[in-house]
Amino acid sequence: MTLHTTAQGKHGDYAIEAKGLRKRFKSGKSFVEVLKGVDFDARHGDLTMVMGPSGSGKSTLIAALSGLLRPEEGRVDALDVDDLWKLSPGKIDKFRLDHCGFIFQGFNLFPALSALQQVETVLKFQGLSPDAARKRATLALEEVGLKPRLHQRPAALSGGEKQRVAIARALAKDPQILFADEPTSALDGENGQIVIRLLRRAASEHGAAVVCVTHDPRLEEWADRVIKIEDGVIISDERRTPNPNATLASHH
Amino acid sequence: MSLALSTLLFEWRRYMAAVMALALSGLLVLAMTGVFIGIGKGFTATIERSSADIIVMQPGATSLIGGPSGVPRRFIPLVYNNPAVVEVQPLDGAGGSFQSVKNVDPTMSQAERARQGAPRQEFVQASIIDTTPGSVTIPTDYSQELVDALRQPYTVAIDETAVTKLGVKLGDKALYNGQTVTVVGITRGYPNMMQATVIMSRDTLRMVGQADTGPRVGPLMVKLRDPASAERVAAELNAAGDGQWKAWTRQELADANQMAMFEEGILVIIIGGCVVLGTIIGVAITWQTLRGAIMANIKEFASLRALGVGMGSLNRIVMELSFWVGCVGVLAAILLTMGVQWLAMTGAVIIALPPLLLIIVGGGLILIAMLSGLLSLGVLKNSQPADLLR
Repeated sequence: MTLHTTAQGKHGDYAIEAKGLRKRFKSGKSFVEVLKGVDFDARHGDLTMVMGPSGSGKSTLIAALSGLLRPEEGRVDALDVDDLWKLSPGKIDKFRLDHCGFIFQGFNLFPALSALQQVETVLKFQGLSPDAARKRATLALEEVGLKPRLHQRPAALSGGEKQRVAIARALAKDPQILFADEPTSALDGENGQIVIRLLRRAASEHGAAVVCVTHDPRLEEWADRVIKIEDGVIISDERRTPNPNATLASHH
Repeated sequence: MSLALSTLLFEWRRYMAAVMALALSGLLVLAMTGVFIGIGKGFTATIERSSADIIVMQPGATSLIGGPSGVPRRFIPLVYNNPAVVEVQPLDGAGGSFQSVKNVDPTMSQAERARQGAPRQEFVQASIIDTTPGSVTIPTDYSQELVDALRQPYTVAIDETAVTKLGVKLGDKALYNGQTVTVVGITRGYPNMMQATVIMSRDTLRMVGQADTGPRVGPLMVKLRDPASAERVAAELNAAGDGQWKAWTRQELADANQMAMFEEGILVIIIGGCVVLGTIIGVAITWQTLRGAIMANIKEFASLRALGVGMGSLNRIVMELSFWVGCVGVLAAILLTMGVQWLAMTGAVIIALPPLLLIIVGGGLILIAMLSGLLSLGVLKNSQPADLLR
């Protein structure tokens, strides 16, 4: 099989391509098949929305795509890697460190670290010098609008601000692939809007392939592509023109 | 500041149990060992605080206590041969019974006398000083008044911590081996929990019939013109003695005395038991505390893994955290032991904390913390980033 995905892709080039993903979980004595042979791809510069009801397998899908959860069958090509799951666990970690950002529904920030330190920590693991890490981290936090909150600990930040720190932590690495799992569901409309706009910008301006799992239909407005998944099968895959100026306020 | 250190400082309450466990393990070992070293120190304090720069003992002696260490009297002039030596005095001492005296009114009834209590009798160790001004045998913290008082015949001084034990106070008469002596001085800082010490002049010791008058004397205490040259002169004396004696600097001997207590098998067993117990308790509590603390941050660790930080790096964070917990534990152990040391001092018990002991126990505590860290690494396997996706 030839490799379609590329590391330094232009907008529209494949960043991830998965074929025939199957994943089963043990449930009591029987097995539940969560992914039933899913084919999936995501492109550079696209905000790809994966939607579906809970239990539809959307989270399992991005776990399999990102090298967090090994599928029983199928293959994942990501960037310049031919079949991610053939790599050793250490190599998969390294791949994520170099190329992937992650945003979760919970913010998962270390309570002891200031916003700046949260971002710096990951950059230092990437091998940046403390000075360079500090510069990049400051820039990333400024980009998400947290310049005045650089030295605050999570306890002093609002939910929206925490999620923006988490986004800065993911974006500071300048990832080619950005996974987001329900990034707005713990936030109110206003903060949700800030977050989805940041994801939109990561795709449009940084050319990242953003894969966003959500069950919030209002986010569709910003997406280049909406994939609907139900019972482990993709039921629809539509391209659409995003509206970057859409609003997501609770009173709308 | 690293992630591990920031976490420890910010969430110190979470790690308090581990720090306290380490501190108490450290206290257990430090206090027990310190007490035993202190018992030895109680016997040798007068010599170790004298102005002797060098002590000359028999070649085979390994410390002042526990075995013969005296030399032939003819060595005294031989030591004077070295031009750096200004004074040589043999150490002397003895032991005997010490009995307080009750003044009894002969008209009292037997019942009234009984109420007054019986006189006390204790076995004591007798140490001597020479009362010539500036003598090498006088501890440096003795006052001139004390030395002057002891110059009178049949006078003794005791430590303030022995006052109750011996049942006498300043000015009282007492019986030393059946001969009347007067308590003319109370010293401070010379406690001995095993056996009280009475200090007397060499002349008084001779008068009570216990001084060395034969061809053999105790170890020689040597004062030098320049105390800083002690090491060099000790080497010269050893060369001159050609194996007949061994000259120790005061520090060397003090170190040897400290360790002498550990030639007692039972002490090694007691301290060994404390070490084993301290280690087990320390590891168990520190391990569980670290586990709990890591579990509390497991989602944060998982998110780092999702971002590609490898298991090795997370392990290093935990090990670094354990190291810092160990360091704080060492600090707490030392502070706690110093508190206990102060308390013990008020009860005449010396807890000696030589730096070497602190280093060994401190190193041990850090090792315990790191071991607990190693045991807790298993928890990190729970940091499955896939669990964060739902």
